[in-house]
Amino acid sequence: MALKTLDIIARKLVERPAVLASERAAGAKVVGFQGYTLPEEVILALGLIPVRIGLGGSDRLVELGGRYISTKNCVYVRETVGLFADNTDPYIVNGDLFAFDATCLQAYRTAEVIQYYFNNGVIILGVPRNFYLPEAHTYFTAELSNFVGKLEAFSGVTLTPERLADAIKVYDDIRTEILAIYDYQAVLNPVISWEQVYDVIQAGFVLDRREYLDLLRALHAELRALQGEPVVGRHADEARLFISGSVIPPGDKKLITIIQEQGGRIVGDDLWTGLIPHLGVVIAEPTLEALAYAYLHRTPHGALPYLDLETDGRIKRLKSLIQHYQANGVVYHTLRYCDPYTFKAKETKDILEKFGVPLLELHTEYAGSDIEAIRTRIEAFIEMIKVKAELGEAA
Amino acid sequence: MNAIVSRRILGSSISDTPEYFRYPDEIRDRFVATDDIEFRDGSRVTATEIWDYLTTVGPVKFPNLYDLSSLYGNRLSQDVTLPTTLKHNYLLMTMHDRMTRARAQGHPIVFVQGGQSVDPYYAAGAIALRPASTGIWARRQREGLSRNQEELEGRADKQKAYNAISFEVCNSAGYEHIQEGTVPADMVAPFTALRCSDVSYGTEAHRHGPRAKEVKLLLVDYPLDHQKDKDWSIRYFADNLRRLTRNIDELTGRTTTEDDLAREIKLHNEGRRLSIELADLWWSADQPPTNGKDRRDLFQLGGMELHGDPVASLSILREARRVIEQRVKDRHLAKGVQKDAARLFVCGSCVFPNDYRTEEAGGIIVGNDNHWSDITTLVDESGEPYHELARAVLSYPYEQPLKDRARWTVEQIKKSRTDGVLFLYKWGCNTQSAIARLLVDEIKAQTGIHTIIIEDDMTRTQTEQLQNRVNAFIEMVS
Repeated sequence: MALKTLDIIARKLVERPAVLASERAAGAKVVGFQGYTLPEEVILALGLIPVRIGLGGSDRLVELGGRYISTKNCVYVRETVGLFADNTDPYIVNGDLFAFDATCLQAYRTAEVIQYYFNNGVIILGVPRNFYLPEAHTYFTAELSNFVGKLEAFSGVTLTPERLADAIKVYDDIRTEILAIYDYQAVLNPVISWEQVYDVIQAGFVLDRREYLDLLRALHAELRALQGEPVVGRHADEARLFISGSVIPPGDKKLITIIQEQGGRIVGDDLWTGLIPHLGVVIAEPTLEALAYAYLHRTPHGALPYLDLETDGRIKRLKSLIQHYQANGVVYHTLRYCDPYTFKAKETKDILEKFGVPLLELHTEYAGSDIEAIRTRIEAFIEMIKVKAELGEAA
Repeated sequence: MNAIVSRRILGSSISDTPEYFRYPDEIRDRFVATDDIEFRDGSRVTATEIWDYLTTVGPVKFPNLYDLSSLYGNRLSQDVTLPTTLKHNYLLMTMHDRMTRARAQGHPIVFVQGGQSVDPYYAAGAIALRPASTGIWARRQREGLSRNQEELEGRADKQKAYNAISFEVCNSAGYEHIQEGTVPADMVAPFTALRCSDVSYGTEAHRHGPRAKEVKLLLVDYPLDHQKDKDWSIRYFADNLRRLTRNIDELTGRTTTEDDLAREIKLHNEGRRLSIELADLWWSADQPPTNGKDRRDLFQLGGMELHGDPVASLSILREARRVIEQRVKDRHLAKGVQKDAARLFVCGSCVFPNDYRTEEAGGIIVGNDNHWSDITTLVDESGEPYHELARAVLSYPYEQPLKDRARWTVEQIKKSRTDGVLFLYKWGCNTQSAIARLLVDEIKAQTGIHTIIIEDDMTRTQTEQLQNRVNAFIEMVS
């Protein structure tokens, strides 16, 4: 069954570059950004247009980017640099300023490379690695304040509590709607797939945020009308897979396609380009201090080290999502040279084994040369899960 | 059988019956008249005792170190008239014995990373060791091994770490030794985000190792992006340093005061100053007064961490300062170095070409940025010590935005009269490789000198490829 709102979102995405260009022509300014701990709220609050940049899946752009940054950086980083070198992507072409945070140190380096070679205006937001300590909150609040100061100078607008409160409300509502919609893909006979929801989430990277919120509300209403309130449930013989690990940005469909071709059903993710940025963001008041606290205390990104395994919020979140979406296997996707997630692969596998959930690590790039190898491993993994599920059901 | 085949294929220089180096008896009298080494606990070792160790104990315990193969980049320097190189070797050979004794005396062992200052660790009564030092400590526990045997065991160790963490870890950073307990570290507490991103993730990996509950973990968080110009970054890092000493205090049961830190900063500043003076002397000479390996070892002593005893390092530095000054006056050309050798400066991460083979090819490495930028940064002794230390550490030139880093690198290149720049990075080093192109482009733009970027592999599987490129580069710049 086709969902009308999905068609509208697809059309809006096609139209978006032209809309952005015309808004710029009318005086609006676009801030392209990349980062996990970068509160997008402040960009919107200052009347700027936030666009989350970055694509995946293009060998050509990876190769191009690798000429400037090294081949020992992950393909996502290389492709980001490639986008700037190529300078045809509408969100790069229409960017007036680019903002990066230092959550992932390779992204931090990307900012330096872009600034040096392509003469783009770049600002950076420092992110503490000891994010959970009180002194980190003090530091990050000051760092965020400095970052906002640069945006204020760029936009000519002063950030007021009212402006910030309005922006926070928009994003809070977006997060609420995404969470609600996400459940629909995990019900017994869904009318929307995980991949479609994932695409909807990524549409929010570039669409006008207020318009996007309206579209999410429309989609939610459409889903509610078709299926009522969602109840997550599973068929006995289903291989319900959860995707964890490195970023899977727009344009990179390799793994998703293979899983689905082999009969696996993706029902959840904790990816930086998926659900996880929308979880656990609790902004107590419209202040930079509260914003800093909220972003530091949501589910930590893998690039932010946490030294106590028992209390690691990322692991806790992973387990709770697996349970909630009733996944019976995890595909742990790691991009080559993505150290934040590659270093955690074996540890995560050991933890989930004790939790009764098998994990398959797939270490890959955007090249097609390993498609068959991945297909074979996915096929075997899905077969194993299905057999296990059936045996469990029989027992 | 395999050994015989290897000899036939690879030549006698890496056979199981290698040629071994001996310190010649004729230098004994001159050497034993040189300075003692003083240690942090007040004890000393005389030059006579060092000589006896190097000529009788060392060759039996660690024959691999005396292997004369030119393919062995870490072999003992043949510059036997340089007394400090013998003393440095003595300290490395006795690493296991000394560190075990110090730990038993109540000094916790704290794992750190290279390229960072260690003043606060020692102020709190701990011993700070970087990956190279923990590796040396672990290797010095194995006696009687040939170089091939030692290398094989070293690779097996690394494999354990790759299995436990990831095969993409650039250097396992002592994980295998610490988690197996061969190096009984009490704490892993490096500076984060400095030089290398793997350090943070590598520290985190200790949380799932077999000794996870025994080894205390802490990251001393190094904020990025114009950090030296931001008061809040300096305050944050100073808070991290205070947290570090408090955590070490929990291990020692004592309380580290600001005076303790101030005293330690003073001591380490002396080491840093001596290294800077040594470098200026070395670079001022018409011809290199030592070979490249001895130069690197001496310059790096200003980091005060390589021997696990800053007082011992300082002892060597003081003597080296006099010896090098004399050599420069005497227009001494170091043994093994060709006259008018092509002078190379190495940038990038913690890998190096073989100094001896570089010198055979007509070059010499005269400087490097890694393990040098921290040494060239003195701490102001007049202010509040945590704050001043934080301010200094955040201003390491190697960690600054590209233009600032390049400006400092160019200064070093000019001072060292460099003919060509090698940017080397280790396979898997995301952080340094990412800016290799930028930095050499900027250096080239500012100086016009030749540059080359080369990737290396610490497992030494690509040594010949690396050296081949270095040699071709030397030929070009000569």
